[in-house]
Amino acid sequence: MKNWKELEASSFLDANARERALGMVEAGTFTEFLNPRDRFVSPHLPVLGTAVEFDDGTVTGVGLIGKHPVFIVSMEGKFIGGSIGEVNGGKMVNTLRLAEKAAVQIKAAHPDEYDARRPLVAISFETGGVRLHEANAGLLAHAEVMDAFQDCRHKVPIVAVVGSKVGCFGGMGFVAAATDVIVMSEEGRIGLTGPEVIEQEMGKEEFDASNKALVYRTTGGKQKYIMQDCNYLVEDKISDFYDVLAKVADLSMQQIEEMRRIGSLKLVQEQMDLVKLVGEMQPKDSMDLWKYYGNESPEALPEMSTAEFLKVVKRRVRK
Amino acid sequence: MEEFDNTMIGRGRDAIDMIIDPDSLQENVIGSYVFDPEYGMGAVVGTIKLEGRDATVIANDAQTFSDRFPVVFGGIIGLEEGYKMATAVYRTMEADADKPMEEKRPIVLIVDTPGNGPGKMEEIAGMNKSTGSYQLALAEARKAGHPIVAIVIGRAISGAFLCHGLQADHILALSKDYGTMIHVMPLTSISRITKMDIERLEELSTSNPVFAAGVDFFYKLGGVQEVVNKVEDMREVIIRHINEIYAIKAAGQFEKLGPWGRGLLGEERGGRTHRLKAMAQMNAEYETVADKYINA
Repeated sequence: MKNWKELEASSFLDANARERALGMVEAGTFTEFLNPRDRFVSPHLPVLGTAVEFDDGTVTGVGLIGKHPVFIVSMEGKFIGGSIGEVNGGKMVNTLRLAEKAAVQIKAAHPDEYDARRPLVAISFETGGVRLHEANAGLLAHAEVMDAFQDCRHKVPIVAVVGSKVGCFGGMGFVAAATDVIVMSEEGRIGLTGPEVIEQEMGKEEFDASNKALVYRTTGGKQKYIMQDCNYLVEDKISDFYDVLAKVADLSMQQIEEMRRIGSLKLVQEQMDLVKLVGEMQPKDSMDLWKYYGNESPEALPEMSTAEFLKVVKRRVRK
Repeated sequence: MEEFDNTMIGRGRDAIDMIIDPDSLQENVIGSYVFDPEYGMGAVVGTIKLEGRDATVIANDAQTFSDRFPVVFGGIIGLEEGYKMATAVYRTMEADADKPMEEKRPIVLIVDTPGNGPGKMEEIAGMNKSTGSYQLALAEARKAGHPIVAIVIGRAISGAFLCHGLQADHILALSKDYGTMIHVMPLTSISRITKMDIERLEELSTSNPVFAAGVDFFYKLGGVQEVVNKVEDMREVIIRHINEIYAIKAAGQFEKLGPWGRGLLGEERGGRTHRLKAMAQMNAEYETVADKYINA
């Protein structure tokens, strides 16, 4: 296992769920809940002849950034596509509940220092959503996560961290959208219906899932950044993600609320303006919108390094 | 597939008429807000009366098509539909903002949807935000005191059920005799993915409700509060649940309702017994280290 410094310098994309969990908090501060030694596995997979994983494919725990407890959920795409079942869905929900509980405890113990000690939740998504082997339980877990998000609202910031191979799709695509702050690398992808499913449902003319450039233009980090569907676009390095978490931990709740894209009538109205534009424009490709927002050579954007891209890109203007 | 001559699939508007006080639907009006009737036509929203009391109704309309968004038909929830439904919830909260909790109007969700819009334009604009915003709105309204009852009359499929249904206080479903479908994927797809015979899966599903499609399995998991056996009973059962929810909220027992309440019910009914054990163990592990993080 790499030491913390080596981890920080590593690629986020190549890191497994536990490395990402360790790397998103300060060195030596991470305590894992239901770690693999607990062997709290899915009881449903063996029935269907599928191998289990001792952490059920999701690492949960708490670490520190400064005085801020950072509650972590980190999904492992190599285990059944990072999918959500009864046990790892429960781990995710309970991590959110523990963060909310910690907020209450900190307010009681340090009433004058709440802002400096306010908890944070960071979720490293790498998942296609519901685990089909236990689909009904996985589906119900998604609703519990959304419910827990609403309980954390205005109290504990929730950050979606997306830069892993599987991306973040299916039900977890809207879970990520419902967080306060989204940080992505250009390799990260967020969507609802995955490329293969669109192709299967609507045909290859609507969406050619084997066209990787098209897939990234539609759901990748750069597209999400232009659309204001991610707040921070960073290089594919664990320390770059860590730096954003450290920054967000110190923002005011008001600043964090302003980063949201959904969650109020005003935000719904802003999104409806976007839907109106898309309905009128009938874009054949994301690049049509990139151009509309003032990027004169949209086809050049995917080729740029993240640093170059951030220098020249024009984004959707928020009201 | 079996034929059901009494099915309510595709009949969201009929279901509204069967549930509400006669002729009480004011479509596209909630409080002082009036919706554009041309917008998001796959969703019906408006104000109804139930035993003389105002309520909001949100239903799918499977009979409409969209010129702007061709993937939306047959009850699919598209970009416009999700935001229209979210707006209906926010306007409901706004209409009762000054009222005490016990007077906040109910919201009735009539569920018959096969999915969220699966297209390229949908992904470019962010279909995930549309469905997510509706769910957050429902969660906020539920916590503010509005009783929310969902009734599955036809199809409640995967992400579309998460969007329209799974944030309610209580979920009801017409029995499977009406052809009601609740699932993520049909058993045939699960058979393909797990490479197990469909016969074997059917046999397994009798003892383990977590993967198979069907109303009764969701009942066992706590995902459905009560199965409604006769379509004529829908109105009466919905009204009974609304009154129960008012009482539970008045007693401050919000945790018995909504997604968390369904988790408790799933354990009680023996369908989901592991998640609470996992959570209890996590809580115990947290207690041993909490001091280090609270007083860092």
